[in-house]
Amino acid sequence: MVNTYLAHDLLWGMTPEQVPVGAPAWAVESIAAGHPVVVRRSLTAPDQIAVGVRGRLREQRYATSMAVAAISRCVRPEDLCHAESTRDLPALHALARLRPLLDASGWAWGVSGSAGFELAAGVEALHERSDLDLILRTPQFLDRLQARELLALLDASVCAVDMQLQTPWGAVALREWAGSSRRVLLKDDVQARLVSDPWQPSLEQVA
Amino acid sequence: METLSFEFPAGQPPRGRALVGCVGSGDLEVLIEPGLAGKLSIQVQTSVNGSEQRWQHLFARMFDGQTPPAMSIDIHDFGATPGVVRLRLEQGFEEIGHD
Repeated sequence: MVNTYLAHDLLWGMTPEQVPVGAPAWAVESIAAGHPVVVRRSLTAPDQIAVGVRGRLREQRYATSMAVAAISRCVRPEDLCHAESTRDLPALHALARLRPLLDASGWAWGVSGSAGFELAAGVEALHERSDLDLILRTPQFLDRLQARELLALLDASVCAVDMQLQTPWGAVALREWAGSSRRVLLKDDVQARLVSDPWQPSLEQVA
Repeated sequence: METLSFEFPAGQPPRGRALVGCVGSGDLEVLIEPGLAGKLSIQVQTSVNGSEQRWQHLFARMFDGQTPPAMSIDIHDFGATPGVVRLRLEQGFEEIGHD
């Protein structure tokens, strides 16, 4: 079966019995409460998918895998662009302000991280000091000047906004691509590496 | 949030300084400046608690069998994997060499 799930997708359907023995108790509780898991960039057996379980605390992240056959529902970051919330938090205000600007950018964009988790699962994951995590689908080259303009838009927000560019080859931080570094960090399913063009990465330094 | 300090024997200070990496989860920011001759000092601020041993091993392995330049390295870590930490440090070392 072709794996059609992408990093940052939220998946439902994992059961506590499917959590490996030895997993932390909070991870089992999260699954038992019906919370979704987050697709990670990592290779697995073809009938499995690499996922992360989120706990309430920032350092509570548990990496595991789930059976593709167990997936009952999938929500993508781009499904959450127009999700509404009544909570009064900086990350959600930043999202409301950026929504029309990003819609007008011509690229597909989405909400990931704790904001995405909260909007998709209805679980309170955001707090007063949470960053807003966004992704941008960039199948075509986004030049570094465009990246700088986009970053300036994001940096005018009421909280820190982190955007990841999803190129056909992996993910790169908008902030780094907009910066002056000759090479930038590109993460794919297998490795992280430093590349000068995230849309045409030749084999450079590999982690 | 945890702040850790490490020290290793080193040679002479480098001439340049470098800032590489990125603030954001799974990544880190590395600032390298010339240090005091003979001493490599590393400060790590990390969002991952209880990671001192892992950092110690990572640095010890990187500097094993060589005398690194006397640098003062400041690291802000946001849960980067050891592989990413290595890449960022190597990127920083390359940049101070290019000064």
